[in-house]
Amino acid sequence: MDFPLLTVIVFLPLLGAAVVALLGNARAVAGRVVAATVAVVDLALVAWLASRFDVDGGMQFVEKLTWVPQVGITYHLAIDGMSLAMVALSALLTVLAIVASWKTEKNPALWFSMLLLLEVGMNGVFVAMDFVLFYVFWELVLVPMYFLIATWGGPRRQYAAVKFFLYTLFGSVFMLVGIIALYLQTGTFNILEMAGAGLDPKFQWWVFAAFFLGFAVKVPVFPLHTWLPDAHVEAPTAASVLLAGVLLKMGSYGFLRISLPILPDAAAEWSTFIAALAAISIVYGAAVAFAQTDMKKLVAYSSVSHMGFVMLGIASMTPEGLNGAVAVMFSHGVVTGMLFFLVGMVYDRTHTRMIAEVSGLSSQVPVAGGLLAFASFASLGLPGLSGFVGEFLSLVGAWASDIPVGWVVLSAIGVLLAAAYMLWLVQRVVLGSPSAAVSGIADLSAREVAVLLPLVALTLIVGLYWDSLLRFTDPAVRSILAMMGGA
Amino acid sequence: MSELLLLTPELLVLFGALLALFADKITGHPRAAAHIAAPLSVVAALVAALIGTRGGIFAGMLALDNVSVFARVAIALLLAFWLHWVSGRGTGGERSAEAVALAMLSAVGGMLMASARDLIVLFISLELSTMPAYVLMGYRRGDARGLEGALKYFLLSMLTSLIMLYGLSFAYGISGSTAYADLGAVDAGTLGQLAIAFVLVGLFAKLSAAPFHYWTPDAYAGAPASSVAYVSTVPKIAGVVALVQLVAAFAGNGGTITVVLLVGSLLSMLVGNLAAYPQTDLRRLMAYSGVAHSGYILLAAAAGSAGGTAAVFYAVAYAVPSMAIMLLGSEEGTALDDLAGLAARRPAIAWASVVWLLSLIGIPPMVGFFGKLTMFTAALDHGLVWIVAVAVTMSVVSAGYYFKVLRSVFFGERLDARRATRSTPAVIAYAALTVVTLALGVLASPVLEFFGLRF
Repeated sequence: MDFPLLTVIVFLPLLGAAVVALLGNARAVAGRVVAATVAVVDLALVAWLASRFDVDGGMQFVEKLTWVPQVGITYHLAIDGMSLAMVALSALLTVLAIVASWKTEKNPALWFSMLLLLEVGMNGVFVAMDFVLFYVFWELVLVPMYFLIATWGGPRRQYAAVKFFLYTLFGSVFMLVGIIALYLQTGTFNILEMAGAGLDPKFQWWVFAAFFLGFAVKVPVFPLHTWLPDAHVEAPTAASVLLAGVLLKMGSYGFLRISLPILPDAAAEWSTFIAALAAISIVYGAAVAFAQTDMKKLVAYSSVSHMGFVMLGIASMTPEGLNGAVAVMFSHGVVTGMLFFLVGMVYDRTHTRMIAEVSGLSSQVPVAGGLLAFASFASLGLPGLSGFVGEFLSLVGAWASDIPVGWVVLSAIGVLLAAAYMLWLVQRVVLGSPSAAVSGIADLSAREVAVLLPLVALTLIVGLYWDSLLRFTDPAVRSILAMMGGA
Repeated sequence: MSELLLLTPELLVLFGALLALFADKITGHPRAAAHIAAPLSVVAALVAALIGTRGGIFAGMLALDNVSVFARVAIALLLAFWLHWVSGRGTGGERSAEAVALAMLSAVGGMLMASARDLIVLFISLELSTMPAYVLMGYRRGDARGLEGALKYFLLSMLTSLIMLYGLSFAYGISGSTAYADLGAVDAGTLGQLAIAFVLVGLFAKLSAAPFHYWTPDAYAGAPASSVAYVSTVPKIAGVVALVQLVAAFAGNGGTITVVLLVGSLLSMLVGNLAAYPQTDLRRLMAYSGVAHSGYILLAAAAGSAGGTAAVFYAVAYAVPSMAIMLLGSEEGTALDDLAGLAARRPAIAWASVVWLLSLIGIPPMVGFFGKLTMFTAALDHGLVWIVAVAVTMSVVSAGYYFKVLRSVFFGERLDARRATRSTPAVIAYAALTVVTLALGVLASPVLEFFGLRF
């Protein structure tokens, strides 16, 4: 038997979480070193896997064991290019989140073990190819995120944490119903075998609806997004980064991995509706972001807008659109992660997130200001940076598809809005003369720059050399489309 | 004689009950009864597992099929966990020996009920499992509220028992036999319908399923939490097995039974979950949560034989974490605020309570999830789509009130909290309940394999 690399990648953080928890707060310094080491080793293993990954090899590193044969549940892990991109994002952002929150003083043992536990769920969701296993990881993510928000969050953390939990749970229980319905119809929980099962279109429609609830809440798609601003505003920085960077992608990943290949007829029926919701999410998210006075809320609403492009790409069901969707997922993880880190770093110094109270960062703290401007440009989709790749491809895909032109045009307007609100943010916060809150603060420390540098590098690499990402995602999305019957 | 040997587990527990009455006197140790009874119950569970399945015994009055054996073992084991906890903590200010004996007698009734194949045996074992529960619920003699609750429980339970007996007499009148095997003859005529309805009334009340749940919150809220931990969990498992077997026996009677089950299920899920939400006392909250879980169980029971097995499995999945939570309430106090700051005082127990509560919500990989999975699978297979939609929605509502408990445990502040004294047996009981909650989920396969359960 081969070395179970995926199992190790998924469950190594669980071991780390247990060790960190057992070390306790009394030995928190050792604990955080363990946490960082485990996360770095995990990232290294993902890199090693990527180096041995055959981009045209389809599903690889397959591990399949029986788990509960009485009900046909298997322990089934595998990875393709799309999953690899997501796992890489998850592993990288976990490392950065740990380093960024290095100085956590309140209950550090719990903090670092929760971050590692979260990584177990995040990694697992993207490589689980059995529905029940997928659901296990899907729900596993909720628990540490609840504690991260509820323990270390802002003033309304309890409310936000429970709202996050209940909203997602509401979606996922319907997903569970969908999973069971598929099982009863096909007799298997195997996600890959279900594709191309040729299910009755009417049945597909209902199952698609059930999955839609589960995934759309997570993405989130307008009008199911209301948990997101609350969760983001109250969450501590590192949790915000992982929430936006990875957790939201679980929803869109679900559409790509499950809804499209298994329920192609329903997906075709739903595509206009999804495109409409995507376009509304894009414009609505952007418009609301415009009105925000709180930097973190602005970034949170910009996420709603960006995830709209993911949904638009998915709804197009073209190779360009799907590649674009995955590219936005990856890029949004990197760029929004960067933005949340920066907002958090600024907040640590100024103790305010109010846009009106922060200005002139570039003259007071040029490194922070410059990076914030860079991240903003990446976020608004400047060509040459990663944000552009996916949004461009999504729009191209949507244009080439059957989606009514109006929705595509509306989405394109969203790009303009994004440029407007991000540039306005840069103008108010980065430029100008230092405000009272900003004057006298210190620039980023070496540790903080080290957190941001990998993200800057990825933004540039993906933005300038698209193939670095697309060579992984393209075969994966083409196989999804092939499973849909070449639609 | 050889057939009597098959009842060794019941006899062991019965022997333990009698021994318990005198153990304290003989040894002079205040909690000797529980100390002796707990290992005896473990042995009973082991023996029951070893005996395994048997066809009809005692002229077909009892039978040990897969589900019966599973329930028998589960009842004995849960009894053992409870006794183990009592051996460390006692039962409040009262003497614990009688409580131990009563719980064991009730368990004997439950174990017999799980294998009953005859209406007379069913009724006698049902009463045997319920009667001691009345006393347990009113165990604090000086407590007027407790006695009121216990009296309410007693009166309502007797009333519904008699209605059930009345129904059983109809069934006997129609079929001319008290054997389950002959109950198929209870036809769809008015009398047959009434018989089925009456029998279900009795079982609904035992399971505290709506609309016969009114006794539950008051009785629980007046009773010592340690008694609630037992009464709300172990007898329920036996009741579910009896329900499932009767439903199967009555099958083929024009669908009345399905309708009654589904109405009860719907009502229980709605009433239980919505009424649990505003509660501030753990006992009342768990009482309503018990009503809600009975609703899920009735849903599964309406879904054929696969559903029946799922219902029994779910009853165990419900009982294990519920018992743990009530035991915790017995130590820390039963107001939700009493649990405040538990995470700081007793972190290990606090994290164990996360496992219990998440299991009750149905989050994987805990046993509650597998319970829900098998149950919903059976129900959907029967085309009960809409009621499953209600069930899953209600399970989200349930997360709302379970999170109130979690919130108190982790984020509440309590300044006057006394530190509970250490008690190794209690810790072992918690550990066992937690391990079962996790292991029945993650390692469900070997357990299902051993008991030959199929969904």
